[in-house]
This record gives sequence, C-alpha cells and structure tokens, in this order.
Amino acid sequence: MSKFLRENVLSILIFLLLSIQAFMYYYDNRPSSKIFSQKRMSVENFSSIILGKSGLTKIESEKLNKIDNDNFFLQGKSYLENDEYKIYGEDISINLNEDISYSEKSVQVINSIGTLDAEGFRNIDSKGKIYFDGIVILKSHD
Amino acid sequence: MIKIIFFFLNLFLYSNVYSESTVKAGGSLIWDSENKSYTATGSVEFSNDTFIAFSEKMIAKYLEQGGKEFFTIVELFENVRIELKEEIFQGDYAIYSRDNNTIRLTGDVSIQSPTRLLTGHELIADIDNNKRILNSANDESLVEVLLENNANN
Repeated sequence: MSKFLRENVLSILIFLLLSIQAFMYYYDNRPSSKIFSQKRMSVENFSSIILGKSGLTKIESEKLNKIDNDNFFLQGKSYLENDEYKIYGEDISINLNEDISYSEKSVQVINSIGTLDAEGFRNIDSKGKIYFDGIVILKSHD
Repeated sequence: MIKIIFFFLNLFLYSNVYSESTVKAGGSLIWDSENKSYTATGSVEFSNDTFIAFSEKMIAKYLEQGGKEFFTIVELFENVRIELKEEIFQGDYAIYSRDNNTIRLTGDVSIQSPTRLLTGHELIADIDNNKRILNSANDESLVEVLLENNANN
C-alpha cells in the first residue's frame, strides 16, 4: 500500500487539487445562478462580466435591478468596460437581447482616442456605434 | 550623450504625433468604432494645436497607432469658419488632412487677414509651407497668396 502511495503521490496530489478547485468553482458560481432564476430582484454593489454579441463587457453598479431575462437596470453610479471603452455613467439600462445600453444621465467615456463627456448615451454594441446626446466634448490625448 | 539627444528627439516626435485635439458638439455625437469615425452635429467646434474650426456638422476619421488613436481626416459641413492665427477662412465645406497638414475649403470661400479679404470658390491652405491657393469663381484666374513674402514686403 505504502509503495503504491509513494509511486503515485504526484497524481494523487494533482487529483486532490483539481477536486478542491472544482468544489470552489461550484460554490463560487452557485449564488449568481440562483439570483438570475428569480424575477424582479436587485443586488447591491454588483460587479460582473456579461457575454454579449460583441464580446465580454464588465459591468459594475451601486445596484443591479433585474427587469426580466433580457433587461437590467444599473441604478446609481455604474460602469461598463470592454476592449474599446470604459463608460462611467448613472442609471444605465441594458438590453442583453439587442445588445443595447443607454442612459439619459451624464456620462464619461474613456477610449483610446481620449475622454468624452456627454449628457446621455445610447450604445448599440452589435453595430459598434455609440450615440451621445446634448452638449458633447471630446478631448483627445495630450 | 547621443542617447540623451535621441530621447529628446523621440519625445518631440511623440508630442507631434499625439498633439491634443478637442471636439465640441451642441447637438449630438456618434462614435462609429467599425468605420473609425466620429460624427458631430449642431454648432460643432474642432480645435487642435494649429487652428480652431466651427461648422454645423463634422466627420472625423481616426487611425490607431501605438495603442492610441488620433484624427487623420476632418470634414466640416455648412457654415464653415476656420481661424488660423490672424486669418479666417470661410466656406461651405472643408477637409483637413493631418498627413500633409492642409485644409481645403470649397463653396463660397473667403480668406480674411488683417490687411485683406479675398473670395473665391476653392481655397487650399498649406499650413506647413504657409501658402494659400485661392481659385476664384472663374476657373482660369488663380490667386496665390504667400503670407510670409507679403508680410516682408
């Protein structure tokens, strides 16, 4: 028996580590799946990554309100980030089905050309277009 | 010593490539990341280190270089007014090319300096060489204004 253990100690160790990791992954993911299975609920100080048609987008908000399976409302100060931009806004609505996010509150966008300030936005991610409303100021990098 | 010279040379070139530009729009602005452009409408103001331009609409194309983006072509539509030092260019349409640092205006074009006012239908302003070419309504007449020479005379 001890000879078997000595010869396979590395394999056993790897197996144990993988088992622990699988256990941790299961328990890490379990609460969020429970949240999204319920209707009209909210989560405070929310941070997550969503996979849309245009790729991965990181979202953060003071409060996440789930309207239905496709629609979310990021209440209070909120933040969206992907490879192309960082959007700092407030009260942002997200439609996952149409890949649209929008807000009528002031917004600041930081991208690789500079910083943009506007009074609201409508982001159609699938078309790669963001519409900014009101007085808009775009300052490129120094 | 050579390394220090190269360092300052690179610093100078870098600052030229990434000089600051500002776009202000009174109506709306669309960022089209697929076509790499910004479209601004409603009392638009575009400025960079060289000039400041006003119009009703602007389409600015940009390119990415070294992880940063900068404007390469800027088109201005309707009631275009460009202020470059002591000169004021006006026209119906203007296009600024960053590569050769020129502005081309068309439509009812005018160029106004402290000492004169010229009108025509096309103006090409070569900023680097400080040269202005003004085509009048009559295609055969061409006015070339060399500002430095005029100033010296």
